[in-house]
Amino acid sequence: MQKHEHWRAADNRIGLAFIAPFVVAALVFMVYPVLESVRMAFYYIDPLNPDGQRFAGLANFATLLGDPLFWSSLRNAAYWTFVSTILQAVLGVGIALLLHLPLRGISIFRGLLLFPYIVPTVVIALCWQWMLAPELGIVNHALRAAGIIDENIYWLSSPTMAMHSTIMLNVWKYTPFVTICVLARLQTVPTELYDAARVDGAGVVRRFIDVTLPQLAEVLAVVVVFRTIWTFNKFEEIYLLTRGGPGTSTFNLAIYSFEQSIANLRMGVGAATGVVMMMMLFAGSLLYMRIFRFQEDT
Amino acid sequence: MGIRVENISKRFGKVEVLRSVSLEFTEREFITLVGPSGCGKTTLLRILSGLELPDTGEIWHGDRPIGHLSPGARDIAMVFQSYALYPHMDVFHNIAYGLRVRGTPPEEIRRRVDEAARVLEITALLSRKPKELSGGQRQRVALGRAMVRKPWLFLLDEPLSNLDAKLRVTMRSELKRVHRALETTTVYVTHDQLEAMTMSDRIAVMDGGRVQQFATPEEIYGHPANLFVAGFVGSPPMNFIDGVTLVDGRLVAAGAQPLVLPVSTLERFGAAIGAGALVAGIRPQHIALHLAANAEGLAGEVQMVQLLGSEKLVEVDAGGRVLSVVVDAAVTVRSGQPAWLTFDAARLHLFNAATQANVLPSPGVHS
Amino acid sequence: MTPQARARARRWVGHGAAYVGLIAITLLICFPLMWALSTSLKPKAELSTAPTLVPHAPTLENYRHLITGKSQYFADGSTGYQPTTAPPQYFMQWFGNSVLVSVGSTLISIIISTLAAYSVTRFRYRWRMAVPYFSLLGYMVPSIILVFPLFMVMTRLGLTDSLWSLTLGYVSTTLPFCMWLLWAFFRGIPIELEEAALIDGASRLRVFWEIVLPSALPGIIAAAIFSLIVSWNDYLFARVFMNSVDHYPLTVGVMLFFEGVHVDWGLMMASAVLMTVPMAVLFMMLQRHLVAGFGAGAVKG
Repeated sequence: MQKHEHWRAADNRIGLAFIAPFVVAALVFMVYPVLESVRMAFYYIDPLNPDGQRFAGLANFATLLGDPLFWSSLRNAAYWTFVSTILQAVLGVGIALLLHLPLRGISIFRGLLLFPYIVPTVVIALCWQWMLAPELGIVNHALRAAGIIDENIYWLSSPTMAMHSTIMLNVWKYTPFVTICVLARLQTVPTELYDAARVDGAGVVRRFIDVTLPQLAEVLAVVVVFRTIWTFNKFEEIYLLTRGGPGTSTFNLAIYSFEQSIANLRMGVGAATGVVMMMMLFAGSLLYMRIFRFQEDT
Repeated sequence: MGIRVENISKRFGKVEVLRSVSLEFTEREFITLVGPSGCGKTTLLRILSGLELPDTGEIWHGDRPIGHLSPGARDIAMVFQSYALYPHMDVFHNIAYGLRVRGTPPEEIRRRVDEAARVLEITALLSRKPKELSGGQRQRVALGRAMVRKPWLFLLDEPLSNLDAKLRVTMRSELKRVHRALETTTVYVTHDQLEAMTMSDRIAVMDGGRVQQFATPEEIYGHPANLFVAGFVGSPPMNFIDGVTLVDGRLVAAGAQPLVLPVSTLERFGAAIGAGALVAGIRPQHIALHLAANAEGLAGEVQMVQLLGSEKLVEVDAGGRVLSVVVDAAVTVRSGQPAWLTFDAARLHLFNAATQANVLPSPGVHS
Repeated sequence: MTPQARARARRWVGHGAAYVGLIAITLLICFPLMWALSTSLKPKAELSTAPTLVPHAPTLENYRHLITGKSQYFADGSTGYQPTTAPPQYFMQWFGNSVLVSVGSTLISIIISTLAAYSVTRFRYRWRMAVPYFSLLGYMVPSIILVFPLFMVMTRLGLTDSLWSLTLGYVSTTLPFCMWLLWAFFRGIPIELEEAALIDGASRLRVFWEIVLPSALPGIIAAAIFSLIVSWNDYLFARVFMNSVDHYPLTVGVMLFFEGVHVDWGLMMASAVLMTVPMAVLFMMLQRHLVAGFGAGAVKG
């Protein structure tokens, strides 16, 4: 119909040129590794001899399912994720409500809040190790001085304490994440809603239950799903503090996968663990999609 | 050189936004596209600008097809509803951007920006950033950016809709003044029929992706082409009486209580009316309200009276049909009062109920 | 007491309690790093005595040791307690590696995702909505899955143990959230600005460079900060990819201090402080952009 090429045709080529690097990078750095790790899950692979691979069928998965350490890692991961996420959500909302108060100087506190998020995990792990050291650590020292304990607590070298120490680290680092998301949402709640509730005779508690919570429900659902997934995936937050120990008492699936690949030189088993994790994540993402339906927009 | 829009159609997904629209206008005209939201007016403007690509049709500038050209190559200017001032540039650079892109020498840019700023009285603002300006000032900067390139066509997309009522009136005459000074062909989009009536040389009333009528404001007001235009233009809106037929030389509205329309002379209507069902239309300004019994008039009862300032809007129930009438504010009238209505026969409009088209010949053509 | 006075008193108590809570939270947030700073300034002998927040005899010796690689405690040059695998003289080298790698991968991710975000939000073609959804999925893939296949690729390319392997490897974690954040951000930039510039006669590339990039700068800065944080903080990739001590980034290098028989806590804490400084500086300079990034709902952690 058109006698001349419309300028949009040339323009669209620019659009495609702009997306091309992303497509390449996504294929190389995201799609390929995931597919490759699925493939690896079905092979015997020694990282020291990457060319000597043999097809393993489901043997790697069978190894996993027959390994008590896999099951205890899964249990640990579930416990770790569940407790960390709940604590982050509860503390995060609480702190957000506190920071939402119209107090003088509140913006300084709001600014400070993000700090733990930027501190490298290695640094926190080092600080934690130093503070929690049994003899010289400040925590035991303070508890002793206050007369709360007589004997030093072995924060990182007794199994239950180690697990809870890693949870503490995780909560310290990522609660601000929840707070910021909730705070951002709180600031968009129209004040008319509170005025209306006040006119209707609602007190502080009722206002929180009837106005604030429903407004936060959506953002909380999203944040909790994200935090659950990411917490489940964490490696460094545990590994750097306890190396999965004492013994294997703080192994989660990421550490299990790492140890299988690096220490046991069974990359196939490591990859199979990853595949199992991904399947769990996939279920998590579906849940997320259902909670937070996207609108197609042009 | 005139502009000819030829059979433009456009659909977004399943929605047909424009259905084979054709318009032709000449140089220096101020054309307004007016209609309710979703009528396709903004899409037509964007197709003129080149930002949107029509599915079919062509745009001619004189005898040159320009439908394939990029917006920049068309050498036109557009003022956006949101003004779209570049937030990181000051006023001077906002206005100068189009010239700079085209490689105009700096001293020439300086001269032309200064001139535009003088015309728009924004010289003092040249070094400010857009966020430091008021709505009216932003509006002027947006105009300046459009003017400074001396384009052959101005496209204005609801440029006044973000201003408060008072400023809108000021800017309306300002725009008109600028148009008279520059004599640039202008296409103006608005949903406000009053704006369209006061500013335009010609108005294209659009609805449902079609141009319903393209004519001068006088013609649009005095002889609306169809029911839609009649209802859209004018305030308060025109009264419609449906189910009207011609019986024994008189216009009768069917219903539980048939009404004989109080029109004294029917000679103007002639044979054009035919036998089909009609809709009669008359503006509230063209009905006379009598508070004393009037043998010619349609008897009714006043239902509601609203003071509009210098006028009153009176709603009269005449045999089950409520008609609005505009009277002088000095007239004393209360609801519940009996009233008689007579129509100005020369201002009565008759529409074919099936085709919705005005069946009367245009007075401009007739006499 | 008048009702007004009572109300005022109640508000005083309420606000007082809120401030107490805020200060407690602030202490919890700040204490670990403050303690690290305090420890790093103490001479070795002071570490085994009853701990105090303010060092009795503050010294910069630990920092000097890290930065120059020399320690006055061992003027004779003996290695003493030092971990044999990773003498502190590598510290500055590691620091440089970390800078190179995180800046490099951030640049790559930002350039790619800025172009892509612009393309996806401003052009119409099939599958364009797949890009943000795909990125969101990419958010959720655990690093432990990506690291070994990428390691094998790097091995084949002969890039293991080179800084390039890390620079490229981090793209796999930083690209998805840069993409998602910038997509959200670009959607919010009014398209009229670009249309006005197109009508002014600017070419598409010029529009991108002169109009879009300046408007997108806050989003780009936010994405860049998050990308820098993630790549600066990574341990896993570096641990798997790198072999030679002098090619390590800070995270893996500093953890080597643990592998000696004695742990020199002063030295450890000094390196912890030095490692945090670049991020803290970035953080203070660009804090409001960070919050904007959270607002766009696109942060990984």
